[in-house]
Amino acid sequence: MNREEAPGKSPEEMYIQQKVRVLLMLKKMGSNLTQNEEAFLRNYAGVVHAQMSQLPQHNIDQGAEDVVMAFSRQETEDRRQ
Amino acid sequence: WLYYNIYQSYLFLLLSPLFHCPFPSLFSISPPFLLSPSFSHLSLLSASSPPDMEAQYTLTRAQRVRAAMFPETLVEGEAVLAAQKDPGQQTNVQQLAEPSQLLKTAIVHLINYQDDAELATRAVPELTKLLADEDAVVVNKAAMIVNQLTRKEASRRVLMSSPQMVAAVIRAMQNTGDMETARCAASVLHSLSHQREGLLAIFKSGGIPALVRMLSSPMESVLFYAITTLHNLLLHQEGAKMAVRLADGLQRMVPLLKKSNPKFLAITTDCLQLLSYGNQESKLIILANGGPEGLVFIMRNYNYEKLLWTTSRVLKVLSVCPSNKPAIVEAGGMQALGQHLTGSSQRLTQNCLWTLRNLSDAATKQEGLDGLLQVLVSQLGSDDVNMLTCATGILSNLTCNNSRNKALVTQCGGVEALIHAVLRAGEKEDVAEPAVCALRHLTSRHQDAELAQNAVRLHYGIPAIVKLLGQPHYWPVVKATVGLIRNLALCPVNQAPLRDAGAIPRLVNLLLKAHQDTQRHASSAQQTYQDGVRMEEIVEGCTGALHILARDPVNRGEIASMQTIPLFVQLLYSYVENVKRVSAGVLCELALDKQSAEMIDAEGASAPLMELLHSSNEGIATYAAAVLFRISEDKSSDYRKRVSVELTHSLFKHDPVAWEMVRPASGSDAPYSLGGVSTGCRRTTLLGRLPCPAIVHFIRCLGGLDWLMPLGCLKPIQYLSNLPLLQERTVA
Repeated sequence: MNREEAPGKSPEEMYIQQKVRVLLMLKKMGSNLTQNEEAFLRNYAGVVHAQMSQLPQHNIDQGAEDVVMAFSRQETEDRRQ
Repeated sequence: WLYYNIYQSYLFLLLSPLFHCPFPSLFSISPPFLLSPSFSHLSLLSASSPPDMEAQYTLTRAQRVRAAMFPETLVEGEAVLAAQKDPGQQTNVQQLAEPSQLLKTAIVHLINYQDDAELATRAVPELTKLLADEDAVVVNKAAMIVNQLTRKEASRRVLMSSPQMVAAVIRAMQNTGDMETARCAASVLHSLSHQREGLLAIFKSGGIPALVRMLSSPMESVLFYAITTLHNLLLHQEGAKMAVRLADGLQRMVPLLKKSNPKFLAITTDCLQLLSYGNQESKLIILANGGPEGLVFIMRNYNYEKLLWTTSRVLKVLSVCPSNKPAIVEAGGMQALGQHLTGSSQRLTQNCLWTLRNLSDAATKQEGLDGLLQVLVSQLGSDDVNMLTCATGILSNLTCNNSRNKALVTQCGGVEALIHAVLRAGEKEDVAEPAVCALRHLTSRHQDAELAQNAVRLHYGIPAIVKLLGQPHYWPVVKATVGLIRNLALCPVNQAPLRDAGAIPRLVNLLLKAHQDTQRHASSAQQTYQDGVRMEEIVEGCTGALHILARDPVNRGEIASMQTIPLFVQLLYSYVENVKRVSAGVLCELALDKQSAEMIDAEGASAPLMELLHSSNEGIATYAAAVLFRISEDKSSDYRKRVSVELTHSLFKHDPVAWEMVRPASGSDAPYSLGGVSTGCRRTTLLGRLPCPAIVHFIRCLGGLDWLMPLGCLKPIQYLSNLPLLQERTVA
C-alpha cells in the first residue's frame, strides 16, 4: 500500500494508482475481480505496468502454516523379550 | 549301597505291574544285598510260575531290564534279544528305559551333591585367605580353584553364601596385575550372578564398582564376564542401576559401542537401555559420550537381529530426550532406522517406527529421506494400527514445511494412500489427525500442490474428508480438516464437489459454535481450549476455508444466504490478526456480489475496515481496501476521496509522539476501534486513549466530525460530545 505522499498528483490520480495496486495485489493473492475491475485495469494499463515491478515478490496469503506434531512427550516401555 | 538298594526297589515298584507279578516286599530282601549283573535276586519274584519256563523267561527279561537301566554294564559286543513280535513297536521295558535312566542320574547327583557341598564348605575359609595372599601365584591358583568350584551347583551355593569369599574374589579381581587371575575372578562372579543369592552377595560386597572398572580391561574375556555380570545385576538386583550410575558405568559402557562382537554389543546396549529408561541424567551422559553416533553406527552396519533390537530400544528411549533427538538425527538416525522397516522381525520394525515417530519433528529439514518416505507410503496399506499410527505421524512431520518431501510423497502415491488411511482410521484419532495433517501439507506450498489437490478428488477423498467435520468433534482432527478443505478449495475443480459434500453448512455451523465459545469466555482472561485446541483457531480455520470457497460464485451465494455477513464483520474486530485477515478476505470475495456488498456496508464494516487499512499485514490491508472500494462503487466521489485520503495518510504520520501513545505494546494489531460498539471482542476505545491535542489533529485529518457520519460511527460522536474541548464542534 502506497502510504507516501506523492506531490504533484491530483486526488483522482492517487485514487487510480491506489486502486490499481490493490487490484493487482488481489490478483496476486488469487482473488477474483469483478468485470468492472478487470476493465479498470485494462483502461489504466500504463499504471498497471508501472505498479507491477513494485509489487512484493513473496507470497502474501497462503493460509495457515504447516505445523509439526510433537510425539515424543513420554516414554513407553515395551515388553522385554 | 543303601541308595542303590532303594533305587532297585523303586524300579520294581514301577515295573512289577507290567510283569504281572506281585510286588516283592522290601522286608523280604535280606542284607547284605548285592546286585549281580545276572540279576540273581530275581528269585524274589513270585514262585507260582512254572519253574523252568518261567525262570528262563524272567532271566531274559532281567537282562533286558538291566540293559535298559544300566547300559554301561553291558559287555562290549553283548546284545539283548528283542522280545516283541513287531520290531516297529517298543516294549514296555524299552519305553521305560529313558525315564529310568533319568531317575538313576538324579539319585547319583543326590549322592554327589552332598559330597560337593561338604568339600566346598571345608575349603572356603582357606581359599579366602589364599586369595588375599601376597604371592601372585598363590592368588592365581586360588582363583582357579574357586573358579572350578563354581562349576558345580553345590559348591557354588556354598561360595555365594560366604560374604568373605565373594569380597575376596572381588578384591583379587581389581587388585591383581595378572590377566589370568582377573579372568578367573571375573568368571567366578559371572557364575555367581546366575542366582539371586549370588547377585545379592556381589552387590553387597561392592562388586559393582569393581566390575565397572573391569570394563576398561584390555582382555576380551574379562570384558565379557564383566558386562554380562553387570547385565544380570541390572536385570535382577534392586539398587544395581543406581550403583552402576554412581560408579560411572555409563561413561565406561558407551565407548564399548565401538567393539565388534555382536553378542557383546547386544548385552552392552541392553545395559544402556536399562540405565537410561526414565532417567534424564543418564540420557545426557550417553549423549555427552557420543552415544547417538555409536548407536546409529550399529543400526547401519550390523544385521544380528537381537543386537538391532536392543539398539533400537536404546534409541527409542533417547528419542524422547530433547537434547538427544537432534544428535540422533544429525548422526543419520532417520536413514539408519529406515533401513529396518521391511525386515522379518516385527519387534524390530515396530521399535524403529516408534523411534522414527519420536524423532520426526526434529527431522523436517533432513535430506536423504527419499527411501524412508517411500517405505512409509507403502506401510500406509497396513492393517496394523500401530504401524498406521507411526507411518502417518512420521509422514505428517516430514512433509511439514519441506517442499521436496511433499513433492516426493505426492509423486509416489502418497495422497491415495493417506486417503485410504483416513477411511480405515475411523475414530482412531492417532491415525486420522496425522493423516489429515499430512494431506494438508501435501496440498499447499510446493510445486505439486495442485496435483495433490486434484488427486484427493480423483481418489474420492472429498466426501470422507468433509465427514470428519461431523460429530462427535475431536477438535485436533476438525482443525486439520478445515485447513485441508481450504487447500482443496484452491483448485477450482474441487469447489463443486466440496459444495455437494456439504462442506459449507458444516463449516458455518462449526464457526458459529466456536465463535460463541470465544464470546462466552471473552470477559475472562483465560483462553478456551478443547482437546488442546483454541476455539480462536477453529474460527480462523473455518473462516479461512469459507474465504477460499467463496471464490466460486455458487458457493459465494450459499455462504451469504446463511446470514454469515454480520458475523464476518464482527470478526474484523478480533484481536487475533489471522482472524482479521481471513474475515477481511471472505468479505472481499462476498463483496463481488452487489447485494452482499450492500449488506456488508449496512453492517457498518467501513469503520473497522478503515482501521485495517493501516495494518502492517499486507494481506489484511489489501483485503480491507478492496472491500472499501467495492462497497463505495455507488457512493459519492466525496466518499471515495475520503477513502483515498485514508489510504494515503497514516494516522498521526506528522505527530509521532501521539502515535506512540496509542501504539499497541506487542507486535499484534491493537485491540482498538473507533467508538465503543460492543461486539464482544476484546478491545478498548482508541479515542479513550488519545490525548486531546491528538484527537483534534485526528479530526482535522479527517476533515471534521461531520465526515464520520457516513461511515456510521455514531457512537464515537456521542463519546466526543462529552469531551469539553470539543463540545462546540459536536454534530447533533
